[in-house]
Amino acid sequence: MADAVRPQRWWVAGGITAGLFWTAAKLAIPLLAAAAIDDGMRAGEITKVVTLTLAMIAVGVVQAVATGLRRYSAFRIALRTETDLRQRLFAHLQRLHFAFHDHSQTGQLMARANTDIQQIETVVILIPLTAASMLTMLGVIVIMALEDPVLALLALGVLPFLNIAATRFSNRIAPVNMQLQQELADLSGVVEETLSGIRVVKGFGAERLQVKRLEAEADSVLDRALAAARLRAGFMPLIDFLPTLSMVAILWYGGHQVLENQLELGSILAFNLYIFMLIWPLRMVGMLIAQASRASAGAGRVDQILATDPLVADRPGASELPAGPGDLRFEGVRFGYGPGRAVLNGLDLTIRGGEAVAVVGATGSGKTTIARLLPRFYDVEGGRVLMDGVDVRDLKVAELRRAIGIVFEDTFLFSDTVRENIAFADPEAPFEQVQRAARLSGADAFVTALPDGYDTIIGEHGFSLSGGQRQRIAIARAVLADPRVLILDDATSAVDPTKEHEIRAALGEVMHGRTTLIIAHRPATIALADRVVLVDEGRVVAEGTHEQLLATSERYREVLAQAETTGPTAVEAVP
Amino acid sequence: MRRGWVEAGPVDEDEKLDREEARRVLRRLWRLLRPYRRAVYVAVAVLVAQTACLLAGPALVRYGVDAGLTENDGAALNRAAVIFLLVAVLGLALGRTAIWVVSRTGERFLRYLRARVFRHMIDLSTGFFEREKTGRLVSRMTSDIDALQELIAQGLVMFVQNALIFVGALVVIVSMSWQLSLAVLVIVPPVFVASRWFRRESNRAYLEVRESIGHNLATLQEGLEGVRVVQAFGRERGWIRRFRETNEAQYEANLETVRISARYFPFVEFTGVLGIAVLVGAGGVMVDQEIITVGTVLAFVLYLNNLFEPIQQLSQLYNTLQSAGAALHKLFGLLDTDPAVAERPGAVDLPERGALVVGGVSFAYGGGPPDTDGTVHPEGPLVLRDVSLAVEPGERVALVGPTGAGKSTLAKLMVRFYDPKGGTIAFGGVDLRDATLASLRERIVLVPQEGFLFAGTVRDNIRVGRAEATDAEVEAAVRALGLEVIFGAFPDGLDTEVRERGSRLSAGEKQLVSLARAALADPALLVLDEATSNLDPGTERQVERALDLLTAHRTVVVVAHRLSTAARCNRIAVVDEGRLMEVGTHDELLERRGRYARLFAAWDAGQARSA
Repeated sequence: MADAVRPQRWWVAGGITAGLFWTAAKLAIPLLAAAAIDDGMRAGEITKVVTLTLAMIAVGVVQAVATGLRRYSAFRIALRTETDLRQRLFAHLQRLHFAFHDHSQTGQLMARANTDIQQIETVVILIPLTAASMLTMLGVIVIMALEDPVLALLALGVLPFLNIAATRFSNRIAPVNMQLQQELADLSGVVEETLSGIRVVKGFGAERLQVKRLEAEADSVLDRALAAARLRAGFMPLIDFLPTLSMVAILWYGGHQVLENQLELGSILAFNLYIFMLIWPLRMVGMLIAQASRASAGAGRVDQILATDPLVADRPGASELPAGPGDLRFEGVRFGYGPGRAVLNGLDLTIRGGEAVAVVGATGSGKTTIARLLPRFYDVEGGRVLMDGVDVRDLKVAELRRAIGIVFEDTFLFSDTVRENIAFADPEAPFEQVQRAARLSGADAFVTALPDGYDTIIGEHGFSLSGGQRQRIAIARAVLADPRVLILDDATSAVDPTKEHEIRAALGEVMHGRTTLIIAHRPATIALADRVVLVDEGRVVAEGTHEQLLATSERYREVLAQAETTGPTAVEAVP
Repeated sequence: MRRGWVEAGPVDEDEKLDREEARRVLRRLWRLLRPYRRAVYVAVAVLVAQTACLLAGPALVRYGVDAGLTENDGAALNRAAVIFLLVAVLGLALGRTAIWVVSRTGERFLRYLRARVFRHMIDLSTGFFEREKTGRLVSRMTSDIDALQELIAQGLVMFVQNALIFVGALVVIVSMSWQLSLAVLVIVPPVFVASRWFRRESNRAYLEVRESIGHNLATLQEGLEGVRVVQAFGRERGWIRRFRETNEAQYEANLETVRISARYFPFVEFTGVLGIAVLVGAGGVMVDQEIITVGTVLAFVLYLNNLFEPIQQLSQLYNTLQSAGAALHKLFGLLDTDPAVAERPGAVDLPERGALVVGGVSFAYGGGPPDTDGTVHPEGPLVLRDVSLAVEPGERVALVGPTGAGKSTLAKLMVRFYDPKGGTIAFGGVDLRDATLASLRERIVLVPQEGFLFAGTVRDNIRVGRAEATDAEVEAAVRALGLEVIFGAFPDGLDTEVRERGSRLSAGEKQLVSLARAALADPALLVLDEATSNLDPGTERQVERALDLLTAHRTVVVVAHRLSTAARCNRIAVVDEGRLMEVGTHDELLERRGRYARLFAAWDAGQARSA
């Protein structure tokens, strides 16, 4: 965190200087006021009163300028730190390997980049502000002690309790507020599902049942809200009460000291003003302590991510991808998604450049995994994967991936225009190229019919497309990259059977002159391949044409029949 | 004295209420608060007393200084100190009481409001839910009521207290010395103006912050969800750049709020110092001319915070108040929406059994009273015209027809989700509009087959069919449909949590739960809306078997999307273009070579192709 603040050292220096001026100005005002009363008013010297009054105004101007500068620099530093940290986190996440993302939930990562970093920001704001406040506190103690140590002790003695109470309050209210938030979330859960399932609720006349559930949740909310109120009722009035005790002490003890001529009347006023000055700093220290413990937990979580090294990265001396036809070779490849979860057990497979091969296998056989090892989404645990004769781990990752076009099983489209989604690999691609890719993947016709054609916004927040349409955009996206190797991972599963033949024709054209790896289980899709490879328990168990395998392999027939009944949406067992 | 700083969220410009609306909302709130009024009076009384305690302090200091110090009277000084201490302790007790009374009353009121709004919402007719977005309705129950909660927990006590302190302090200082008051009150207007400027500016800036955070989060989320695609196409740099744009925009928006407060707070601090300076300067002159005492000057300095702080605080609380007002306005709007389908006074229970007779029914969506926000829903075209159909007890009737023909609408009218615009629907001779809603929902049940699951166990979900059913009855319903093996195979059987990770139910299993609900409800007439989603063949067979067991020996109207389902019914009613075209058995209708025969031929061909 320290190195995140370093680039802003000038602001830090400026903030510290302003803080010093601010403290000095603040401390001077009560002294000036006291002097005006004692040396001016009580002595009957009006000119002195006026001079001191003007001096106070001048000091006030200094204080105002300093407070503006110190607040601005404190917040600026904190915001800069927050923004840079979030940027670093995002950049790091973008580069972390697939396996990391498999084990993380988006919501969790969002919380890291949002809530946790904000907690850190709050502390960064509080530190300089609290530092200046502590300095003020120190100054007040010194000035009061010099004036009258006993009175200082009496007046300031109760104030630490304010700090203790504030800290205790923060610590005790935080869990209650969290429970309250949880109960509120549960309550809104009941509301949401009741409204989503309103037809069921009404169809069965289950309104009263849902009302009962809601009332139970509302009672829990009430219970927690009252628990929070009880804590607040205990603490909040102390903010007024404890300083009032100080004022009583000043009036009584200070008053008697004045009567005995040990103290000037003006000091009574000055002491009261100093007490006011301390209330907020004391509370802030309490807040800082509570906030710091929350933030350190957050910082730990953020740091954990930043300390995770990307497992898939360029090796030192990684080479360029040599020119080649796109020969692929898997040699004794072993891989698993975790210890004891072996998926590939010594898989051997050779695919010649320009060949189209369908990989067929039951759920969990490892067929999708084969496609994921080639672009190094994961690295093999044993054996090698070669592209045009070079181990993929010896190649520059960016070059390797640029040479491979992949259509994922679950198509993800960005909330952007169709054009930008298709031109994802190369945002600079001219429109003709985008349109050509769309035509090749059978997307051009329906895209043209969209409200804004290629400029229609799609994705989660845009125009909603059917599963088949989404897949065709994804195919166009892969085609536009003009890859040496094309991977179709169950890429036509959501396409309406009546439209499938159109895509098949288009795909035939796309595949021409490229090495194509097709992960499929529909016979119609398998038919696109020159050759079929049957994978079972992480090994290639049979090869040949579709007809040959149908005729010779009992397992092949089983797998196809199984695919038929589990339906096209069956997802391979991957974490 | 500086009290807690209230951070209110920004308020949208179009959400702010005008004066007249605000007055109406307040009047209505006051009516709703009727059962809580005594507590409100108590709270106000306590707050007034607490404020008096708070304001007594500086006055006692004045007494101590003038009667004690200036007159050299130690006893008077002691008196002042003891009273000050007692008043402080009393103030502490009153402060605690005030917060507790206000919070308890407020939270109980919210508990009442939540239940009331929810009950009202759930009783609204189906048409309302088809118009309104679920998200908007959910926010009535969540963010709107939460805004009120915020007000009660944080703002209400402070609002009243600050207002009382300001007015109280004003009265006290003027009564002490109107001359010195005049001198110090000159500073109040600038503070007031500056605070108003600050509220407006920071509200505007925070709205921008909120928006920029939204953009940034959206980019973040997309970058994370699409990270595999980004990496596969080697677009990491592009996305990092894209994130930098929204991230920096968030920074800029935040910095703008800092700039605004970096202008306001120096001004506020300066006016605080200026106040002291004016009091000391002007006070010095007045003391010299013996217009006031030194004690008065001291008291005034101590009162200074009681004048300035409330202005700042009230200005901040204004946002909380506005949000709460807007929230109440929307809640009242919802409470003002009357259910289009409601029970008539003097409604009777439906008989236990009987025929359902649809007589000359026509229907159009829309029409009815406008929404509370003034949206008018013009009546749409007729979707049903003069439909007549009788379903005898024990009969199974299928409604078939192309999409949009009106068959689902007819089913909804049969369970009184809507009332017909013309004609009548009666069960056992009683018009549905004359029946009690409870008996109607008990006798006639609509089952949307796409099973919607609520949080809870499978058993809880089946019990939605009949809330008071025993465990044994639930299990009997499961057995009656032959589902005990399938449900028994779940991790915890019927007690499996349906939403928990790893036990998510498939589409087919959800449909089975839905059918079990219907079996448990065991109504006199079952209206089934067949699922349109495709299942894999294995599950499809399970669902069909359960459906057969459910419909055997029951009176059933089924909206059939698969003609195989229709073929198994006693009679088939063909609906097209809002009219009943043909009624008869499967064989009769095939023989007639009309619409049904054509539909069936097309469907049959499709089945053959996909097989």
